[in-house]
Amino acid sequence: MDWMFFGEISLAGLAMGGLYALIALGFVIIYKATRVINFAIGEIMMFAAYLFLAFAGGMEMSAWIALPLAVIGGSLLGGVIEKTMIRPMLGESPISVVMVTIGIASILVGLVEFIWTADPQLLPSFLPREPVFIGDLYLAPKIAYGFLIGSAVLIVYLLYFRFSRGGVALRATASDQAAAYSMGINVRRVFNMAWVFGSLAASLAGVLVAATGGLSPQFGIIGLSVLVVVIVGGLDSILGALIAGVFIGWLETVAGAYFGGEYRMPATFLVLAVILVIRPYGLFGTHEIERV
Amino acid sequence: MFRNILNKGRRLAGLGGLVAALTVAAPAMAQDKEPIVFGGSIPLSGVFAFAGIHIHAGLTDYTDWINSEGGINGHQVKYVMEDTAYEVDRSVAAFKKISGSESPATYYGDSTGFMKAIASELNSQGNTLMSGASFATALTDNEQYPYQFIPGPNYSQMFGIILEYIASQGEGGDMPTVAFVYSDTEFGKDPIENGKARAAELGIAVVEDIVTKPGSVDVSSEILKLRRVRPDYVVFHGYVLSPINEFMVQMRQMGLDTKFMGTFWSSDKLIIDKMGADADGYMGVMPYNYYDSEESGPMLDALRAQAEKSDPEADYRPTGYMQAWFNAMVWTEVIKRTLDADKELTADNMAEALASIEDWDTGGIIGIPVTVRDMSFPVGRIWRVNAEAGRYEPVSDWIHLD
Repeated sequence: MDWMFFGEISLAGLAMGGLYALIALGFVIIYKATRVINFAIGEIMMFAAYLFLAFAGGMEMSAWIALPLAVIGGSLLGGVIEKTMIRPMLGESPISVVMVTIGIASILVGLVEFIWTADPQLLPSFLPREPVFIGDLYLAPKIAYGFLIGSAVLIVYLLYFRFSRGGVALRATASDQAAAYSMGINVRRVFNMAWVFGSLAASLAGVLVAATGGLSPQFGIIGLSVLVVVIVGGLDSILGALIAGVFIGWLETVAGAYFGGEYRMPATFLVLAVILVIRPYGLFGTHEIERV
Repeated sequence: MFRNILNKGRRLAGLGGLVAALTVAAPAMAQDKEPIVFGGSIPLSGVFAFAGIHIHAGLTDYTDWINSEGGINGHQVKYVMEDTAYEVDRSVAAFKKISGSESPATYYGDSTGFMKAIASELNSQGNTLMSGASFATALTDNEQYPYQFIPGPNYSQMFGIILEYIASQGEGGDMPTVAFVYSDTEFGKDPIENGKARAAELGIAVVEDIVTKPGSVDVSSEILKLRRVRPDYVVFHGYVLSPINEFMVQMRQMGLDTKFMGTFWSSDKLIIDKMGADADGYMGVMPYNYYDSEESGPMLDALRAQAEKSDPEADYRPTGYMQAWFNAMVWTEVIKRTLDADKELTADNMAEALASIEDWDTGGIIGIPVTVRDMSFPVGRIWRVNAEAGRYEPVSDWIHLD
């Protein structure tokens, strides 16, 4: 066995998994606080990546100004969606809310096709292009720097949720909405905050992933493939999203390298099937017991 | 012209009057004949919309142009289409709707999937000839798809042209090595087996064979595999843009001097527009002259004039536009041949007329006379990106496969 090759592809897979973890984080934050499975997460990623394209490409801003603007734009979009389309659905059946998120996804696809056309796009290059070597192991620069930026944001998120008032309010609401409400937490505001923060993570991941793999109105499909990550990790577990994201990224890459690209998805879905059989609520998800 | 004649004197006044009367009467006579319908399932939205918009423009412009030329044997042409979003079920529904109400003589199919799905209905109806966006090898099977043709070389033939070019680059008896990179789709896998067989015949070693999932976000591990085998050429198939850019940029970052090539849908100017300087040296096989090439010819000039007329703002027309125009040119030629032979416009008669095309001068759309072989036009040329000039330039002669 060529251990050098195994090391290089493992490194590439782990780095890509870091970006999956960031997308999964966006998914989980929204679900954890609001119990809404947001099928529009991929399209929010896409919209933010197009905003980056507009700022850095069309308006020729510095990429380091365009990046935060695009991410803020994506997170504001999440907040607006929650306030105008999800909040009125409070109390409705979960299926109805899911259908609304699917509808939002379609609207966003139509919107970007209208504004930026259906042409495939490449984002202006903003990450260093020099190859990265860790020891003798090669790592593609976009993946390496994307991983570093993503990891930094993940750490900030974890610290925020652990120590800030907003983070505590979000965790309290996630664990018991009624109790949080009775303790004076503004639950509606927490819902909105969850959408803003979830969309922010997804938006950053959107720009970083699009910088690597290109952008088109169909880019949002990636959000659905990350559904595997969140189900494996547990829909309401931030730790699960991080671990499952990195693991699925690694598995997908190793399966693709050794068995061929057509085995990437079967490998991850095999893991999904096994996890659903053994732990239907995911590796780190909450096992809810309903007593009749 | 009429003014000159009339100015020559009273002796010619009568003749001038006659010509003028005929000129006025001709369109009315043409309109007396039933219009010939070009139908189309066109992907104006969805994943293929980037090409569908230009395909629609090409068919619209050709229809306007041929009508301004008096139509086909005096029949005006009517182009009827429906948006399909590149979904097979919607394409099938569009075909049923259009064929039910308009009886199209020819029809543009937007995908291989649709053209395969509709084959049995097309065969049983027997009054429409179909071509479209697909260059699938399977569609050149005359037994199964007798009323469908490919408006250029099929994907296996494109690989054949690319491999002939690669073989011609061998020096001192050393054949270059090649790797195939393709998407995990029916489209992507189409020419691979035939390509390997053709490479073996030419003595070219296929050192790696990489399949990527469609819309793949990261191809680092695939690039690492290529670094180990260091191919002289990488041939892409089944992509429009990504991940071609990633392969090219990362492999060059690794210091490899591999050359990169692609088939029809991977050889649009989009690659230059989006990749900029990184696209330099990329090569593609193209059966038609590019819109901005230095080539000319009566039909190519007419195409450029019509494109300019319909949208003066657009200074370039993509390969989808050229392909759609060529499709409609072939339909016109086939219909004309059928009508000239006093035959009805049935699918059998039109397929027979298509098969009779030999050494056909396309007026500069294709640089050499073309002959139909097994319902395809197996001709193409290798073009290379000159990033500084922002266009593809020819690096081979036209190659017509037998």
